[in-house]
Amino acid sequence: MPSLTLLGQSLVSGLFIGGLYGLLGLGLGLSWGLLRLINLSHFALVLLGAYLTYQLAGTAGMNPFLTPLLIVPGFFLLGVVLQWAFDFFRVNEFSSLLVTFGITVVIESVIQWVWTADFRRLETPYATLSVRAGPLFLPVTEMVMLLVATALSLLTWAWLRFTWVGKGMRASVEDPDIAAAFGVSPRRLALLLSGVGAAYAGVAGTFVALVYTLAPSQIYGWIGVVFAVVILGGLGNPLGPLVAGIGIGISESLTMAVAEPSWAPLVSFTLLILVLVLRPDRI
Amino acid sequence: MGLALAAIPALRPPAFVESFLYLVFHWIALATSWTILSGFSGYFSFGHGAFFGAGMYTAATLAVTFGVPFLWTLPAAGVVAALLGVGIGAVVFRVRRLRGELFALLTLAVTFVLATIVLNTRIDGGPGVFLAAVAIPRIFASAASTIYVMGVAVALAAVGAAWIVQGARLGRGLFAIADDEDVAEVLGVPTYRFKLVAFGLSCFLAGVVGGIHAIFVTYVTVAETFSITVPLYVVLMSVLGGARHWLGPAVGATFVTVLTYAFVGGEWAVVGRAVVGLTLIAVILFLPQGLFGLIGRRRPGRSVPAPPAGERTVAAGSGLLSEAATDGSATAQRGPTSRPLVRCEGVRKAFHGVQALAGVDFEIREGEILGLVGPNGSGKSTLVNVISGYYRPDAGRILLDGRDLAHQPGHRIAGLGIARTYQIPRPFPRLTLLDNVTLAGMFGGAALDGGQAEREARRWLDFVGLADRASALPTELNLHQRKFLELARALASGPRLVLLDEVLSGLTPAEIGEALALVREIRRRGATILFIEHIMRAVVDLTDRVVVLNHGQLIAEGRPRDVIRQPEVVAAYLGKAYA
Amino acid sequence: MLEADGLHVGYGDAPALWDISLTVGDGELVAVVGPNGAGKTTLINAIARLLPIRRGRLRLDGVDVTRATPQEVCQRGVAIIPEGRRLFGGMTVEENLEIGCYRRAARRARSESLDRVYAVFPILRERHRQLAGSLSGGQQQMLAIGRALMARPRLLLVDEPSLGLAPAVVDQVFEVVQAIHRDGVSILLIEQNAAKALEIAGRAYVLEGGRVVSEGRPGELLTQSHIREAYLGGGA
Repeated sequence: MPSLTLLGQSLVSGLFIGGLYGLLGLGLGLSWGLLRLINLSHFALVLLGAYLTYQLAGTAGMNPFLTPLLIVPGFFLLGVVLQWAFDFFRVNEFSSLLVTFGITVVIESVIQWVWTADFRRLETPYATLSVRAGPLFLPVTEMVMLLVATALSLLTWAWLRFTWVGKGMRASVEDPDIAAAFGVSPRRLALLLSGVGAAYAGVAGTFVALVYTLAPSQIYGWIGVVFAVVILGGLGNPLGPLVAGIGIGISESLTMAVAEPSWAPLVSFTLLILVLVLRPDRI
Repeated sequence: MGLALAAIPALRPPAFVESFLYLVFHWIALATSWTILSGFSGYFSFGHGAFFGAGMYTAATLAVTFGVPFLWTLPAAGVVAALLGVGIGAVVFRVRRLRGELFALLTLAVTFVLATIVLNTRIDGGPGVFLAAVAIPRIFASAASTIYVMGVAVALAAVGAAWIVQGARLGRGLFAIADDEDVAEVLGVPTYRFKLVAFGLSCFLAGVVGGIHAIFVTYVTVAETFSITVPLYVVLMSVLGGARHWLGPAVGATFVTVLTYAFVGGEWAVVGRAVVGLTLIAVILFLPQGLFGLIGRRRPGRSVPAPPAGERTVAAGSGLLSEAATDGSATAQRGPTSRPLVRCEGVRKAFHGVQALAGVDFEIREGEILGLVGPNGSGKSTLVNVISGYYRPDAGRILLDGRDLAHQPGHRIAGLGIARTYQIPRPFPRLTLLDNVTLAGMFGGAALDGGQAEREARRWLDFVGLADRASALPTELNLHQRKFLELARALASGPRLVLLDEVLSGLTPAEIGEALALVREIRRRGATILFIEHIMRAVVDLTDRVVVLNHGQLIAEGRPRDVIRQPEVVAAYLGKAYA
Repeated sequence: MLEADGLHVGYGDAPALWDISLTVGDGELVAVVGPNGAGKTTLINAIARLLPIRRGRLRLDGVDVTRATPQEVCQRGVAIIPEGRRLFGGMTVEENLEIGCYRRAARRARSESLDRVYAVFPILRERHRQLAGSLSGGQQQMLAIGRALMARPRLLLVDEPSLGLAPAVVDQVFEVVQAIHRDGVSILLIEQNAAKALEIAGRAYVLEGGRVVSEGRPGELLTQSHIREAYLGGGA
């Protein structure tokens, strides 16, 4: 049996990785739940954002926490353009999976062309910074990541819940025709939402660059677990991915502590399978 | 062709050529095996890596740990993968909602679960499995040649299997499942069994491919085997080539493999990948059927020849045909009898607490046209769905010849001779008219073989006046033609009872006249008809008896002219003031 | 207020309409009755611009809206109570009402409109935080009416409000429709229950097989055999 300190440290690191899962799942879940598009290229955008942060902070010497100021507006536009194209070509839920896989492969090639397939690591003073809380170490960048993930999830939740645009968005998901008959423009709102989702990918990318070593193939590394997070959290619910992400993150890191680290994925994917088979109506 | 490919090693090509060619055939086999379930039935699996990996580790474990001769491990690899697939399918295929993207995700999750188990047990344990010490059977000059020939063999086997499946009953059924699974079941396709068989075959082939690949790479690791790139590439290749054609995946696999491996080294490999990605986007947007979607919509090379001109019946104005086309079930009756064909006893069905059918009792007598009428929401469509087996009733019995249909699956009810049409036509959109109707003949009560069913189908298309559109797609028809296609499809199964759900709605008066003539002719040929309709004029004209539903209950029954005078019926339709 | 002139509508597998001409004057309550499948809902959806119009003209206050978007029709003060209610079932009662006043002109009057709707249907105030999907059939119909009222419409399109409701609730719904009419809203009421609709309408059209087969004052129509024939065929 591992020591209490080790368990506590696992809990903390599970919590933090849960923040990353939540951040990644937020954008994916929004477009899947509200636009009925499964956007695999979300993961490619995250990595593209990470490499851009690496470039801006590592090579151009910008403060990494300021890079989103440049990245987010660009990604927002990208998201709008993508949604416009999906709408123009009448891409449906299923073919969106394949089209966005194509986009993913293209972005991966671009990343590999520009930054090569070698591992890249953004060296910043923040990387080693951590706070001591009793016997536990709390890494600062990951703490900020969790905070940002929580803030964005809450803001998105409030946006959908309390604003005219948010309510119009939810109404268009349920019945676009009737929403339109009451003056809502489902297509325009979809452009906005897709832009926001892509912007979130940019934010997630910055944190990925701060916390992880980058390689183009990392695009595929999180797909499985983030899909599990999005489905377990409930599609279209902006708080769902964060809650499910933290749950999965903690269960993974506890599994790592008490058993072999390599057993970790079993928990999340078994949960995902059970939800799919037993409660497919939730999705 | 196979011999020529197998003879390449005799030319003593350089080793890298052989291994490149091996990879081409490896991907052809893998993509084609995927298509047998996923491409044909539309159940896109993202878990092909799991079955491929299961085969790989089975072969590796048997050869390394237990010293089994390598060739003997291959069938075992296939069987293990097939059992895994069938086991998963047996659970998953029972859940109606697990189609499309949810099935894709589920199979992907299975891959990761399997990977975790393999990684953490003695099957792998972490470091991977080395096969360097395994003796490669020296069937040909060199080990590389032998592996290459095995790759060719399994690729040919996979493509051959896909070819056979596509032309067989199984393939017909799978294509129907892809277009509209519920309708396929009601037409008599045993959907659950067909999906399981296809999944088993698909996984078996993937397992064998995996077994061979184990010896090719000689070093098997979890990260490489169960990576997400295997399923993604398999899907990519099949969709590029055309997932609904037996040769499509082979074309796609060749294209992608050449692009990714031909520009070996450095920057060109990246360009190759980008081209693959762009091609996929372009194909989905502009050529959703893949490259083979360009090539005719008939199954190439495998169509049953049209019957000689003399055998074909010529539509004589009204589109009715000669007696020759009537089938076995049509011999007996020509009019109403008093013998009950189907009896409903206390049939109930509720949705979310709302009682759609609140205990319905009535009988359909052999040879009659029974009208089923009632205002909107009175439960008529629910009743049709219950009789045809789409819904299970909460209580009650539905007896056909004394046999209770209430808990039979839809395809068995179809097999017993009950056919239906849909109020909003539901043809299989990607099958030609002829294939739509042929399918009904192959799977319904008639259970004809392919050639016979196709000849019957032509006759029924002729009967409803669509003979000249046989090779069109349903999307090219207008509403009235689609309604008639529904009729032809219901009739081609040689039914004893036809449930006609609002065949007249949306038709012009002239078209209604035509449709009524057809319905009369169907009865004259011996079938019993349950005629659900809102247009009361037609009901009064056509039917022998009428039953009236309101709020899920039978409120009247009798001769049409009497029934529509009953105050309860008038009130149900027009409101109290009229009664 | 509303003029339809020779409308032809046809799409997919829904019943089509041929050469439909009808008018709804300012402050009028006009009923369209006819059996199921006659194309009544198709007509409403075409007027709300949810379906393409193939031929003919549609005017609102003299302005041509034949090719307008649903949003433009909405901005001109048209609201719909659709067949089968079509509420946003995953949203709360109050949120459904708020979608009703989504159009700019109505947004400003949000709280005033809410009070008005809650005064008419006190049960909606009681349940304002409940999900619309969890209401009973009658309450859902009230919410659908309330949602349309929130838009402060000048023309209300009402599609089969009696569908699937118990007789007592149907009476209540018709009373509310009449009350709205008395407040000066023009109403196009589509209804299968002809007796009920003709009781409250000022003028009516009979639709059968996608065509207008008769029109006039309810009294005239009631004495003619057209309606009975349209529903029950010539044999009755």
